[in-house]
Formats: sequence, structure tokens, C-alpha cells
Amino acid sequence: MIEVNGFSARESWRKREKCMRRPLLLAAVAASVATTGCVQTRQFADLQFSPPQGDYKLLVLRPDVQVSSVTTGGLSEPRADWTEQARGHVITALREQQAGRGGKTLIMERRDAISGVTAEQVADVERLNAAVSQSVALHKYLGVTLPTKRRRGLEYTLGQEAVRFGQRTGYDYALFMHAEDSFASTGRVALQVLGIAGCFIGFCAPNIGGAGQFAYASLVDLRTGDVVWFNVVQAGSQVAGIKFGDIRSKEGAAQMVDRLLGRMKPGKDIRRQQRQQRAQRSQGAAQ
Amino acid sequence: MSAELSRRALLAGGGAATAALATGMAEARIPPASLNPLIGPGYRPTDRDELGLWAQMQRVEEEVAGSNILVKDDKLNRYLQQLIGKVGGPAARDMRIYLARIPDFNAVMFPTGFTVIFTGLLLRMRDEAQLAGVIAHEGSHFLLKHQIRQYRSIRGKTDILSFAAMLGGIAGGAAGYNTGDLTQLAQLGTILSILRYSRDLEAESDALGLKLISQAGYAPLSMSETWEQLIGESELSARVRRKRPDRGYSIFSTHPAPRTRMNDLRVSATELTVPGRTYDRGRERYLAAIGDIRPTLLDDQVKLNDAGSTQFVIETLARDGWNGQLRFYQGESLRLRNSPQYHQRAAQSYTAAIAYPDAPADAWRWHGIYLMKAGRQAEGRTALQRYLTMAPNAPDAPFVRQMLVS
Repeated sequence: MIEVNGFSARESWRKREKCMRRPLLLAAVAASVATTGCVQTRQFADLQFSPPQGDYKLLVLRPDVQVSSVTTGGLSEPRADWTEQARGHVITALREQQAGRGGKTLIMERRDAISGVTAEQVADVERLNAAVSQSVALHKYLGVTLPTKRRRGLEYTLGQEAVRFGQRTGYDYALFMHAEDSFASTGRVALQVLGIAGCFIGFCAPNIGGAGQFAYASLVDLRTGDVVWFNVVQAGSQVAGIKFGDIRSKEGAAQMVDRLLGRMKPGKDIRRQQRQQRAQRSQGAAQ
Repeated sequence: MSAELSRRALLAGGGAATAALATGMAEARIPPASLNPLIGPGYRPTDRDELGLWAQMQRVEEEVAGSNILVKDDKLNRYLQQLIGKVGGPAARDMRIYLARIPDFNAVMFPTGFTVIFTGLLLRMRDEAQLAGVIAHEGSHFLLKHQIRQYRSIRGKTDILSFAAMLGGIAGGAAGYNTGDLTQLAQLGTILSILRYSRDLEAESDALGLKLISQAGYAPLSMSETWEQLIGESELSARVRRKRPDRGYSIFSTHPAPRTRMNDLRVSATELTVPGRTYDRGRERYLAAIGDIRPTLLDDQVKLNDAGSTQFVIETLARDGWNGQLRFYQGESLRLRNSPQYHQRAAQSYTAAIAYPDAPADAWRWHGIYLMKAGRQAEGRTALQRYLTMAPNAPDAPFVRQMLVS
């Protein structure tokens, strides 16, 4: 809900388009992933990607968390207290998850929280990633596929800028993530009850929708600059009042982080190699 | 057939009624004396919805403050900040101002008290009083808590619409009648009513802004002049492009029509003018503050390739006197139209430019080139010599030197 009051109406449409592009794109991604009420994830990886293991250094750039309440009319209203609570839990869950994989993780909560780079350089990388992520969303999730990128996994890069960023900070990977969760207000739930009640007399609105989780993450290999892995999680129901998780709680945040980052699949080439190796091994065992 | 007709008639009649209800026939002027700021110094939100909005805006402001399209000119930024201090009312010390390099006439206020001013706006202001008017208008959005009030109004209206649509649907379902069309009509009514509220808030900001600048001693008429300029510019721009100007009268507008705003501001200004008091325009202070970036502002405008708009802007600024800089950019805009009649007029503008001591080096360059094209070799060479003396390290200096040797 970005509300701005412009001075003149002349440019307001063009401006609104600019302001709205990101939320619209996110909403569209959410819509394309969600067909019915459930939990869905859809990930893409570089063909040569293998999930970081062992002694790696991961930098998480300012996790963006937003929790809101859905009003009766369907607007989503940001809630500062819930957001603060969820942010804390998400960060803890991230830290615990990465520690379990053996990596060394730094979660940056502010742009100036790391030595070697200035806040401005961090901002530049964040903006660059935001632009590339929009491309990924458009061409991988929204159906505007590019013929040149068919069957090539995730083929995007932040380029030398990210490589320099890695050299300056000494990190191997950068993870960008955004998570949002929303909850139907009492009024919205009442409206839903009405909608279901109406089914008995011939006016049926059993799924007005309105609340759910949406999260995405992109992993950048700072040694090559490539975006090596991208994931979108959508968890929601079409029935206001029914939820699939709650990132305001410790367990709910851990569950969301697990849905988002817990099942990183290797890239297609790597998986093919693994299959071949398995096949060879079983052949060897048979002989 | 008849059933369909009657439904259509019902919808048309209902639509007109909704539109009239939602928008009113004519929107009345808001007298400045009727408005006072709703917040005091150091305002912080306490309500849950506003707390949420402020928390979200923190990250937005961080993004804006670190944006690479901001003009990083300390002197100019300090000047804008002290101007908000003069006309910011009780929040004068709380508001922040950012100048973004965007060649459009606009400024935006965010709900937490920071505003973004576009460079295209600085270009069009003739003096400090006009700029103070825009800043006071934006500041008034904050002083009157417009964003949260608008949000609450939208929330209230969509809440009512949702229940009304659901209950109506159920009633219709029970009676065996499809209420879909009526629901759509109610939706249109809700949207129109939201936009109407948005226009009311803009009118409030105009009124309080005007009150603030007159209290600070700026000429109250300056705000309606700004609108007069904007209207003139959009009409000339449309005429040159052979299009009809968008006059902004629509029930779908977020802002009142410019002409309505201009007239209301003019009436309010006479109401606020105290006879015998002298009001400040601050033209010299304004020119001193923006002098360094004015060539950039003009250059950005010329490159928009909107010849009518550029012509109007330059001629408006020239009402306070022509100079070499304005004549030069007039020439640039004409030259870029690239047709024989405009080349001739461009040449005249460059000739006029070099008569002033502040003519930029490039004015001499183009003056020289046009002279040579016209076959006046000797005069052209002299002009180009002058260009080289003024800009010996220009990127094209070696070529020009070569041209003069051959």
C-alpha cells in the first residue's frame, strides 16, 4: 500500500504505473502459482547448480518481511507489530537452517552492516538483483517464455558487479529474499461465513479469498555473478479464515523458511549426471 | 427484448445517479480560513493502521534517500530544506525533501512526511513564491494526514461495498434475481466516490498551502499563476503535436481539473491578501539557488522532444527577461525539429543568444555552423574561433580546429 499524493494529475498515470509495477508483478506471480488453496513451490536452477554444502560463506541481504491484515473489503493493511515479530522469527529460522548445512551465514539487517563495501554499493547490488528478479518472474513464472532460454534452466546473471561485490566482502553466495503473510480480519471472515451461508439459498460465494503467504528467494553465486537458484512459495486458501502457516510464530517462520529454502534441487545437468552415476553403480553391482 | 431494454435503461439511469451522487455537480471551493493543521511538531502515529503504514514507509524512504537519480547538490538541497522550514507549518522541522532528476512537472508527498520534488518543477518555477506554493501544497498533505485519511475512507467504502454486494446477492438469490449488474454499478459508485474524496483532499491541500505561504509573506497569487502556466503549457504542447489538450475534467480524475484549481486559488488569494502588506516573490534568491543546475534543467526539457512544451516554458521564463542561456535553448529546441523553416528560426535564436554576455560556448558553435551553411564563411570562422577559445577542451574541439585549417 504505497500511497502518494502528487501535485499534478498530468503525469499521475504514468507514475502510478511505475510505482505499481513491482507489486503488480508479485501479485501476478502469486496468481500464476496459486490455482487452488494449498502450498506450492516452484523452483528454477542453473543447469550446473549444486546446492551449497560444507564450508561456504553465505550473505543474506536485508530479508524483506511484511505481514498484513486483510480488511473486509479485501485491502491488505500492513501491521507493524506483526511484521516486527515475523521478521525476528524468520531471521532466527534462517540462521538455524543455514547452520545445519555447515555454512557460515551473515544476515545483514542494515545496508552498512558489513565491512569492505559501502551502503551505496550494497544498494546497487540490491537494485540490480531486483531488476533481474523481475525478469525471472516475467519469463519463468508468468508464462512470457523466451525461445532462447527454453530448456536452459535458470540463465540469468548479475555480472561482474556481483563478482566484485563478492571479492570485496569475501562471501561465496548472496541470498535475496522477500516474504509476506496476511491474515483475514474478523470482518473478512464474517463476509466469508455469509458467502458460504448464501450457498443454501442459491447465492454461493464459498471462496472470496484474501489471506495467504507469498515468498521468493534468489541465490546468487558471487564467484561467477550468476543467479543460480530461484524459488517462489505460495501458501494460501481461497476461503478467508483458513490458513496454511503463520510466520508470526516461531514454528510458522521455520516452516516458511523450510518451504522456501529447505528443498534446493540441483540443476538439470547435475541431476542427469547423478542419475547416470547411479545407473553405472547399479550396473557395476549387478556384474 | 423489452426486458433487456428495461434493464439497460435501469442501468443507464442508475449509472448517472451514482455518478452524480458520488461526485456532486460542481465541487465547491474550500476557503483557506476553514483549514488548520491536524498535527503538531514531532508527530508520531499511535493508531494501528497508521503505525503499519509508517513502518512500511521507512524502507521506501531509505530507498528514495539512496536513489541515484537524486540531485546531489548540497547547496540546493539545503535551500529546499530551509524553504520547507518556512512554509511547513507545525511540521516545518520534521519534513524532509528530496530532489529527483526527472524532467516532469510533479512533486509527491509520502505519508511519513518526506516529499520528492522533480527537477522539471524547478525548471518551471519563476520565483521562490511559486516554488514555496508547491512545497506548501505537498506539506499540507502531511499536515492534514491525507494519506491515512484517504486509506481509511477507501477501507470504509470497500468494506460497505463487500457486505452490500454479498447481502444483495443473497437477497437476490432468495428472490431468484441475478444482482450482478447492480453490484457492478455499486462498484462504479464506490470507485467514483473514492476518486471524489481524492479530489477533495487535493483541494484541501491547495487551500491550506495557500494559507501557509501567505502567512510566510509570499505573494498569494503565485499559486494560481503556477496553474495558469501549466494550463498554457499543456495546451501549446497539444497544439504543436496536433492533439486535443487534456483539460482534466473527468469524474475519473484523482486531482481536480487544473482550471478549477487555478480559479479557486485565485479567489482564495484575494481573500487572503491583506491590503497594504508587501509580499515577497524571492526571484533573485531563487535564481541564485538554482543557477548552477539550470542549464541541466533546460537541457533535459529540450531532450524530451516536446517542442510546444519547451517553447512555452522558455517563453514563460523569458517574461522576466531574455538572456543568452534561454535564447540558446530556444535555438536547440527549434533546431531539433529539423525542418527548413525551423532551422532558419534556430539560427536566429543562436544569433540572439550570442548578443548576451552569458551565452554558452555551444551557442557560438551553432551560430558559427549556421553562418557557414549560409555561405558566410568568414563570419562563421570567427564564431567558431570564439567557441574554441571558450571551450578549448570540448569533445569536438579537434574537429572544429581541423575545419578551420582546411
